[in-house]
Amino acid sequence: MTEIGVEEKKLKVRKIKRTRREAKYKHYPMVEDHSTAAQEYWEPIVNTGLWSIKGYQIVKGPWGGGTVEEALKRKPKEFMVIDRAAFALYSHSYGLVSPFFRGLLEEKLKGTKCPKCGTVYCPPRAHCWNPKCKVADCEWVDLPLTGVIHTFTVQCLAAAPFEHQLPFSMGWVKIDGADTTLAMMLHIAPKELFIGQKVKIKFIPKEQRKGDLTDCYAVAVPGQKVPEWACLQKDPKELESLKASMKKTIEFIKKRYGIDNNPEVRGW
Amino acid sequence: MAGNERVAICNGGIFRPDLWHGENAEEGVAIAYQELLKNVPNLTADDIDALCMSYFSDHLNGQLCMGWIIQDYLGLHNKPGYRVESGGSTSIDALVNAYYMIKSGMFDVILIPGWEWMCEVSVAATNEMIASAADTDWDFPVGGYYNAFYAALQVRHMQLYGETCEDLGRIAVKNHNNSTHWPYSQWVSQHGTSPITLDDYWKNRLVCWPYKVLNCAVMSEGACVLLMATESKARRFTDTPMWITGVGLGTDSMRPGDRTADFAYEGMKNEAKIYPDFVEPIKTPYPDMANFASLHIAAKRAYPQAGITNPLKELDLVELFTPYDGVELCLWEDLMLCPRGEGKTMIREGVVDYGGECPSNLSGGLTASGHPVGATSLYYTLFLYWQLAGKIKEKCGPNGLQVQDARKALITGHGGTGCQGAVITFERD
Repeated sequence: MTEIGVEEKKLKVRKIKRTRREAKYKHYPMVEDHSTAAQEYWEPIVNTGLWSIKGYQIVKGPWGGGTVEEALKRKPKEFMVIDRAAFALYSHSYGLVSPFFRGLLEEKLKGTKCPKCGTVYCPPRAHCWNPKCKVADCEWVDLPLTGVIHTFTVQCLAAAPFEHQLPFSMGWVKIDGADTTLAMMLHIAPKELFIGQKVKIKFIPKEQRKGDLTDCYAVAVPGQKVPEWACLQKDPKELESLKASMKKTIEFIKKRYGIDNNPEVRGW
Repeated sequence: MAGNERVAICNGGIFRPDLWHGENAEEGVAIAYQELLKNVPNLTADDIDALCMSYFSDHLNGQLCMGWIIQDYLGLHNKPGYRVESGGSTSIDALVNAYYMIKSGMFDVILIPGWEWMCEVSVAATNEMIASAADTDWDFPVGGYYNAFYAALQVRHMQLYGETCEDLGRIAVKNHNNSTHWPYSQWVSQHGTSPITLDDYWKNRLVCWPYKVLNCAVMSEGACVLLMATESKARRFTDTPMWITGVGLGTDSMRPGDRTADFAYEGMKNEAKIYPDFVEPIKTPYPDMANFASLHIAAKRAYPQAGITNPLKELDLVELFTPYDGVELCLWEDLMLCPRGEGKTMIREGVVDYGGECPSNLSGGLTASGHPVGATSLYYTLFLYWQLAGKIKEKCGPNGLQVQDARKALITGHGGTGCQGAVITFERD
């Protein structure tokens, strides 16, 4: 087996000109621009992808149909495996619920209310989904920065953009006054989490906010005791197993990213 | 062409699921098709009226219109054919659509090829691409994997109805050990045929509490081809047709978090009184972020067509689409095999084990035997075909888990967090 790869040529990448983006938004002149910097970083990267082949390997192994046993009995064959990269950068509109995400930038939580059935939506819906209301236009309402945990999980595995934060808790929070529940990060030590827990909504520092749901997170209202019926804490064996898995995850993240995500370090 | 005739599954072919195959998708489908042609020796290309192709993802392979490659590769490119896609429910949806195509009276014999090649990109990237079937504005940005979404649904169900992690462990052990009796299983390919125990489960790595690796569906590459036909044609292809007796489809909210005010299901299964006292009231107590209303309503649509009034008594076995083990427990409730909140007793009392009243996932299912999305429900439909035909020992060897005299069976499939789901009931002569 050789470990020599195809030498990668450094491509001269084409930059996206700002005027091209402005032309795209002909009827929507830019009011604020917090994306050109991100575009300048990402566009060259995504433009090096696009289905072209970057390298290959030869591997040898089973082939053909039938059972596992039958396949493993056949004389192995060699297969050639190519590396192909493809990316894209999407410019996506938050649509009529954009005010919610702008609200996050200003440390505000907004919901919408149906003028017909009175249901309060957070996540907001621009149009009511109650079939009786015939897709009525909803109105914006300000919501308090408090709520209750509707359900939660503790993640020891997450998608690439969140991996360095592992282990962490996320859940769905019913904001006080709303009828639906909003997904968000829970900055609460896993051993203290329970359904029905009262939380306050906090925001990450202003300069880090991007107008997405990770701009806000929930912390526990202090002074609450874990009730005896709480499903996570009911079984000591389960709590032990969770602790062991979290420890492994913390070690992995420390090794990979050099970040210590101990709950104590995080002040949870 | 007669849309009022009964419709049957008349055999199929498998290219077994595995973590990786040297063969690419069209070759895998061809191998499965070869097996179908071997199983139905008098089937010719002329018999096939149309194709209904099942695959979920364009971005996993960076190839749009893969269905055209498949039709071309099988030499069936002069036939009507189209692709069905609906996330995790893709493969059951292909069955539903093929059934509708026949019932429309336009076609008599449909070939259903299903496949998915999920391991060309890294597992992390596959997970992320799958998670783009979740709401990318509202759910994906928080944690970003289905594992977390399903885990949170299960936590809510556990809190409401009192099943424990040990129950989830029991389901994992049942499914993996069932899987060791299915020689086409990915678990068998990767880990062999030794049974696992609850001890192994407790030692297993956590993914998202309460789900451990053993509770979660595997990533697979694989293909399956099924043949579906009207009664008059089916008799030519098989002596043991598996009749489709009921087909139900359902959908639910895109975001699971909206199911606390899920007006489309208002008044359905309205058993708020069985909520424990500590739970705050919500607008619509069913499905909440716990059960799967899309599959409940699908079952309510399918059962009357099949004349099923007591599913637990009447169904001899069920193959449930369970990307996570808690889903299986919830589905026993949503399919009315037991009352809401009683899923835990089904596993604790062995009702769903081999030899129990209604064995569930004897194939091993998605968490053990394989889950190449576009082929998944086709595999487990073919497994049911072998069961109802009494051919499990013939196909799987002496260790195969044949249900004696199995007559009626059911399969489910769903996508997203139960955003779309279908139930199909089967019966043999």
